[in-house]
Amino acid sequence: MRTFADSNPVASAIYFFSVTGIAMFSANPVISAISLVGAITLYLMNNGRKSLSLHLFSAGLFAVMALVNPLVSHNGATVLFVMNNNPITLEALIYGVCAAVTVIAVLYWFRSFSDVMTADKLLYLFGALSPKLALTLSMALRYVPLFGAQIKKVHASQKALGLYKDENIVDSFKGGMRIFSIMITWALENGIVTADSMTARGYGAGKRSRFSIFRFKLDDVLLICAVLALSTVTLFGVRNADFEFYPYISTPEITAEVAVGYVSYALMTVLPVIIAVKEELKWKYLKSKI
Amino acid sequence: MEILKVENLTFSYPLTTSPAIKNVSFAVNKGDFVAVCGATGSSKSTLLRLLKREISPLGEISGKIIFDGEPLSSLTPEKSASEIGFVMQNPEHQIVTDTVWHELAFGLENLNLPQPVMARRIAETAAYFGIESWYEKKVSELSGGQKQLLCLAAVMVMNPQVIVLDEPTSRLDPIAASEFISALKKINRELSVTVIISEHRLEEVIPISDKLLVLDNSVVKSFDTPRNIAANLSDAKLLYSMPYAVQLFHAVNGKGECPLDIREGRRFIEENFGRETTALPTPKYTHSPQTAICFSDVYFRYERNLPDVLRGLNLIVYENEIFCILGGNGSGKTTALSVAADLIKPYSGTIEIFGKKIKSYKNQSLYRNCLTLLPQDVQTVFMRNTVREELEGAEEEAEKLPVDFEKLMDKHPYDLSGGEQQLLALAKVLAAKPKLLLLDEPTKGIDSASKHRLINILKQLKSDGMTIVVVSHDMEFACDCADRCAMFFRGEIVSVDTPSRFFTENNFYTTAVSRMTRGIYSNTASLSDAVKLFTLNKGGEQV
Repeated sequence: MRTFADSNPVASAIYFFSVTGIAMFSANPVISAISLVGAITLYLMNNGRKSLSLHLFSAGLFAVMALVNPLVSHNGATVLFVMNNNPITLEALIYGVCAAVTVIAVLYWFRSFSDVMTADKLLYLFGALSPKLALTLSMALRYVPLFGAQIKKVHASQKALGLYKDENIVDSFKGGMRIFSIMITWALENGIVTADSMTARGYGAGKRSRFSIFRFKLDDVLLICAVLALSTVTLFGVRNADFEFYPYISTPEITAEVAVGYVSYALMTVLPVIIAVKEELKWKYLKSKI
Repeated sequence: MEILKVENLTFSYPLTTSPAIKNVSFAVNKGDFVAVCGATGSSKSTLLRLLKREISPLGEISGKIIFDGEPLSSLTPEKSASEIGFVMQNPEHQIVTDTVWHELAFGLENLNLPQPVMARRIAETAAYFGIESWYEKKVSELSGGQKQLLCLAAVMVMNPQVIVLDEPTSRLDPIAASEFISALKKINRELSVTVIISEHRLEEVIPISDKLLVLDNSVVKSFDTPRNIAANLSDAKLLYSMPYAVQLFHAVNGKGECPLDIREGRRFIEENFGRETTALPTPKYTHSPQTAICFSDVYFRYERNLPDVLRGLNLIVYENEIFCILGGNGSGKTTALSVAADLIKPYSGTIEIFGKKIKSYKNQSLYRNCLTLLPQDVQTVFMRNTVREELEGAEEEAEKLPVDFEKLMDKHPYDLSGGEQQLLALAKVLAAKPKLLLLDEPTKGIDSASKHRLINILKQLKSDGMTIVVVSHDMEFACDCADRCAMFFRGEIVSVDTPSRFFTENNFYTTAVSRMTRGIYSNTASLSDAVKLFTLNKGGEQV
């Protein structure tokens, strides 16, 4: 079963950039709201009921952002009340809420982005720029955790050998410095082994090519086409539909064009869900035939 | 057909007076399996590295190396990189990239091959070496044995004619080592890839080698079939590294054809040993009334969601004994040692060290003249830039060990060979003057002659009053030095016994001599036991 997360990284990246880009740069609260609903749906679909902390954090951030704007911005014509000689306006409050919706939506999109775009997928994307860069990143991804793990091991060995005389901060700081210094030597010494292993396998003999385990399938091409088409329709539909907040809130007229724009953006935000449901149904159908 | 020919090769490192390789000549046929042996410091690595152009050491060189009819130096870079493969000691640092599939692709990428060709070769290689199930894994999740197998596969994917291996198993436990050697045998027998390998432990390699190249003091001492070399051994050091069947043959001054493996050794015993006495008296086991380590119902896991590594472990080590813990990889042996050294804390159960709860050793007092641990990765023990600094305050201990540290004084500890590093770390650990010494795989990477000296040192330390706990895969070592052996299985100890009973009652997990004498003699686990039986039966007269 090929879900959205199994798509080619290029397709996934185009999807995330379009969907977040439109949410970030359109001054249209309806788009933001659609984006938020879509982002939360995708996140819940992938993570279920886990990570309650993220939801709590988002709710908190939402409240803070919505409330801070009217406190610092005093634009707007409808004064609700006066606090410390500063007017608190309805327009500023609503603007705060709308901005918060956008930010929270983008936050959820980024969360899903980092779930789907694992290190090896990002590597594949950057590697398209240069095979050398791809190799360097891959080596770094191996080496940094290895270094960290080795520090832990050295610390344990030295502890058992009595490196730390007492349990105080000065002593453990001194010990830590010595461990760090030997770790530099460790990295350099063992780097020679890695370098030998690389030249022994022909590194530096000439131009390099690049191997990757990601393929372009028809599904990926379809996904990219769908994303590009929906983005174009959305951008065209809402091109004149910006909201104005100050001094009075003015909402754009809902024409057929704008409505099509909203619908196509909504479709775009639920694309991963549609793919998942389609695959699920296909699977059920296959099973019922067996 | 000759694939590799070395003629009058002499090599010296810069700023040295005597050459590291002196007038070496030999020829290797296509598809041969050649083992290079010799004591530590006999320039095995130098010779092997000279066969691989990309990583040849710098220095003065004379003589010829001919590969596939051409001088090594005139090969094209592509041919040189792909047709001669090289595998080194340390699997951890030979691996370049972060994932298994990328490591397999690395060499092919360097050859600038197109994607479809790479995909096919990688798929083939991964399937052949059984890597498919961990193809997409991170390298950091692999075991040591898997890492070294990956290094081999990453070289084999380039389709080499010859692979050169420099002590590839010295960082592996014996089970992973033997799996690695079987993989080598497979590529040699099935694909006729020529293999040139240097090894300390010849037990596994000799039965499959076509030729043995013995290096001694920079020159080739002999280059012949293993059987001829084994039959005419004069060097005691080399004898120690031979399979136990060969050692037994020489220990009883055997006549006729020299046995090389367990099966031949067994036949040799059946034909040459008398049968009047079939068992040796069991040595009596006594122990001190005081305990050095006492674990009761210890449970440990690394993370909340991971399974238990120690599952209700009960363990008693008495004062003044050598206690060996054996068992497979991941059975929890090393974890048990770390728990005993208070480096990690169990979530349930109590541990007493010398009758005192481990929690009551406050302020690092556990490590002050009480308990010391020699970890598996000995590089983590070194903190200085030279061996001299490292040995400060440990000169006395270093004296006793089977290495000549004098020669190595100004080297960086990391530049020593695996075995030398092991012994240097041991000297440092002993200098802490512990009452209780915990050793994790102390025989890793050291040659057999040094292993024998190490056994004597441990026995000496014991008679000076030290308690020693050894975690090891090395059954012969455990059999020769332990007072008691324990078998670890899935986080628990399933059997504890004296070595002679422990090894003669085990069927698979046992010493070579026990395998050779099983069913003929009881109670015979070590080489000295077998020799004793031979003399008791006056076997000498029959032959």
